[in-house]
Amino acid sequence: MINHLRQLVISSSVLFAVLVTVYPAHSAPLKVLHLSLSAAETGFDPVMTSDLNTAAIEEQLFEPLLTYDYLARPVKLIPRLAAQMPVISDQGKTWLFTLKKGVYFSPDPVFKGKLREVTAQDVVYTIMRFMDPKNRSPYKFLVDHKILGLNALADQARQTGHFNYNAKVEGLEVVGPYQLKIRLTGTDYNFGHAMAQPMFGIVAREVIEAYQGDTASHPVGTGPYMIGQWIRSASINLVKNPNYRDERWHFTSQDPQDQKIVQAMTGKRIPQIDQVDIQIVEEAQSAYLSFLKGELDVFGVPGQFAPNVLSGTELKPKLQQQGIQLQRLVDPAIAYYFINIEDPQLGGMALSRIALRRAILMSLNDEEMIRVIYKGQAFREAFPIPQGVEGHDANYQSLIHYNPQEANDLLDKMGYKKAKDGYRRQIDGGPLYVKYTTTLTSQDRDLEEIMKKSLDRIGIRFVSEKLKFPEIIRAERQCRVAMRLSAWIADYPDGDNFMQLWYGPHTHENNASCFQDAKWDKLYEKTLALPNSPERDQLYRQLARLLEINGVTKVSTSHIRNVLIQPWVVGYKAHPILPSTWAYIDLIPEGERH
Amino acid sequence: MTSQEESMISSFSPSLWALARKRLARDAIGLLSLLVVVFFILMSLGSYFGFLAKNWDQEVAINYAPPTWLATNQESVSALQAPIPPRSQIDLYGQTDPLAPLLDELEAHNPQDINSPPDQQKVNHLVFGADKWGRSVILKTIKGSETSILVGLVAALVATAIGTVLGALSGYFGGWVDDFLNWFYNVFTAIPYLLLIFAIAAVLNQKGVSTIILILGLTGWTGVYRLIRAEYLKHRHREYVLAAKAMGASHYRRMFIHILPNTLHVILVQLSINVVGFIKSEVILSFLGFGVPVEVVSWGSMLNEAQNELVLGIWWQLVAAGVAMALLVTAFSVLTDALRDALDPKVVA
Repeated sequence: MINHLRQLVISSSVLFAVLVTVYPAHSAPLKVLHLSLSAAETGFDPVMTSDLNTAAIEEQLFEPLLTYDYLARPVKLIPRLAAQMPVISDQGKTWLFTLKKGVYFSPDPVFKGKLREVTAQDVVYTIMRFMDPKNRSPYKFLVDHKILGLNALADQARQTGHFNYNAKVEGLEVVGPYQLKIRLTGTDYNFGHAMAQPMFGIVAREVIEAYQGDTASHPVGTGPYMIGQWIRSASINLVKNPNYRDERWHFTSQDPQDQKIVQAMTGKRIPQIDQVDIQIVEEAQSAYLSFLKGELDVFGVPGQFAPNVLSGTELKPKLQQQGIQLQRLVDPAIAYYFINIEDPQLGGMALSRIALRRAILMSLNDEEMIRVIYKGQAFREAFPIPQGVEGHDANYQSLIHYNPQEANDLLDKMGYKKAKDGYRRQIDGGPLYVKYTTTLTSQDRDLEEIMKKSLDRIGIRFVSEKLKFPEIIRAERQCRVAMRLSAWIADYPDGDNFMQLWYGPHTHENNASCFQDAKWDKLYEKTLALPNSPERDQLYRQLARLLEINGVTKVSTSHIRNVLIQPWVVGYKAHPILPSTWAYIDLIPEGERH
Repeated sequence: MTSQEESMISSFSPSLWALARKRLARDAIGLLSLLVVVFFILMSLGSYFGFLAKNWDQEVAINYAPPTWLATNQESVSALQAPIPPRSQIDLYGQTDPLAPLLDELEAHNPQDINSPPDQQKVNHLVFGADKWGRSVILKTIKGSETSILVGLVAALVATAIGTVLGALSGYFGGWVDDFLNWFYNVFTAIPYLLLIFAIAAVLNQKGVSTIILILGLTGWTGVYRLIRAEYLKHRHREYVLAAKAMGASHYRRMFIHILPNTLHVILVQLSINVVGFIKSEVILSFLGFGVPVEVVSWGSMLNEAQNELVLGIWWQLVAAGVAMALLVTAFSVLTDALRDALDPKVVA
């Protein structure tokens, strides 16, 4: 027994020694950015990603053709892997992209020690992957039915069970090794936004095929960083990609407030920070306290701690004295309740079920939520497209108001009778309850309490389901989540990015409510053909109204983002769209801070 | 000769329990703690049967109303709601609402349906303060005692019962029974505690107070088992047990009638330690998401809420739950100590 123990100690110390020697000593002080994420990553295959935390990391690992300017507001598209902005012709139907030369993938055993350059064929492969039925990509909607000939290929794959990546697609024409002509099925001026998403970061075919079935654990991209150490759902360490090209910080801005950033950063090589250390901290309080101790460098303050750091809209003097900076902006995001239309208890389009869902949505008091839970760091938003996004309507009036009295009358009228225990039953006497899904954190216990209170007001039984965030996403894709308060942040600042959340064919992808209504879908398809215009806005209003009428969704709130920045972080500016900007900032190393 | 007479007299002495009662009655601190424990148990029973804290979930005060012992003044608080616009004024953008005729009819019958509820009168100070929804913290603590005491007591009883029976079997019979139970004990303790809890929670696969009791009861017996086994090993060859055997007492009788009272002091101390530990464990389970469901309040869930409130300087919920817990736990420990003294047959009356 003891011998075994000694052997264990020896072998583990050998392992430790090996681990230490793998990381060579640096001569200059190492710049390490410390951050926390509020939910675990879901795996780093961009084609399968749909959550913000994972996208934030993928933004650093992979590079799409375009990106958003770091400083410009409102946000502006700029080239990233493309050498310049695409040449758009034929009324927005043809997009000609030219790639940068000398862009290499990060090292991986698959390349057998050779440098691997990015070519136009890689872009074609990356786009094709979104249509492969096997990948079930939540972001398929960005290219679905948009590129000539691509959907035919997907249909063929659905029949044969095999996606033919060697096929020539009319809409994806490789003009030269670094040039690609994309032909769209119709006019679409938003296509550039699609090509700026981290999910459209370019991948190499041989890597994806070598790691078939486990691509989510082998991210190989061209970004400034690559994965160093990774302990699943606990910590992720990003290190510099040695093959990253010589890219310089060159952003400009007219805003006088940005001048300090421009002065500090212009001409510096990207990235300046050697390592990004990301911890998954689900409890907001732990993250908040870590920030105060200086263990985190940048921290988005959750609403519940706003009274601690803010007086009004200003930072508390105590924090100001420490040199901590505050940046505030309205998140281009909505928090919305959805009810699963396929749920056996609440779903269906019968009038009685519509009334049931409307009554449930009428029992929710958003004002109370804003004051008690979000501590005033949110505001009521009834329209599915938030502030700062094209198509937003500030004057939209919600049809569903907090009105438990009328909700009760409505349920009585429809025949949802209360049984002896004080809770209602289905019209036919069957069981009736709302299974409400949240994560395990204490913030979400508040959401549960609100929900329980709301449902008690109208005499409907509350049942809780607690899952980890990645499990919730999985359950949503399978239409197994009955009701949830979900949130969606703009990938790009256009209303389409929000309205697609209820599009029937997006069920099992992003349409967690699994709402599939022919009339709605038809109206939605009409908006796709229209540029940003009053005509399209009117259609959006109709779509929003239909969601309310059918009791599918109640848009609840929009939030204010309060970002705290430690004094030693250089060049940080909160970006409304980019999920992460770590490659664009710098740090004063630990030894040189005072 | 006199000594013989004395032993004659003592054979008519009162029973073990009568003696214990007498000894306990002389222990002032023991009695006081007994009173405290009885008080808490009565309180939780009272809340269970609806005599106490029945309206604990009523939102009587403003959010986080601070504690005060002075007069409280009423404050008009708006119902936190924007006025409801008449439905006829809402533009449907050409869509038809299938519920509209129904709602029109309802609103014609019940005109109050379209009016915002009137402002509510809520107090801005409350004895012992209010929680985030404006519920009285003191009533919440009383309601919480129900869950916490139930969990603590019942789980401790379950754990101690399992531990005692297994320990008795193991220590009394020895041989392969002992080997087998020891092996079982070893396997059980080899699994990390939290992993074990997760495993049992996964098997039970439902949340609720009874699940917590089962989890704690099924995992907490190991310490008791070890101690009781040692006691039985010690006692089984003692003269009084051999005498009982000579008189033809059965195994069961020897184990539970003769030996058990002599180990009762160990069992009671273990019971009290377990009660204290399990009341605290409920807090940990709440933290891991296996705690009480959202409609149930317990001291654990109160402390869990308090950790976020404390950062904001709201201390009253922490103090209320903390003081209640400390009081009960201390009283319980002192009481079991007194019981141990009272029940130990070796202590001379």
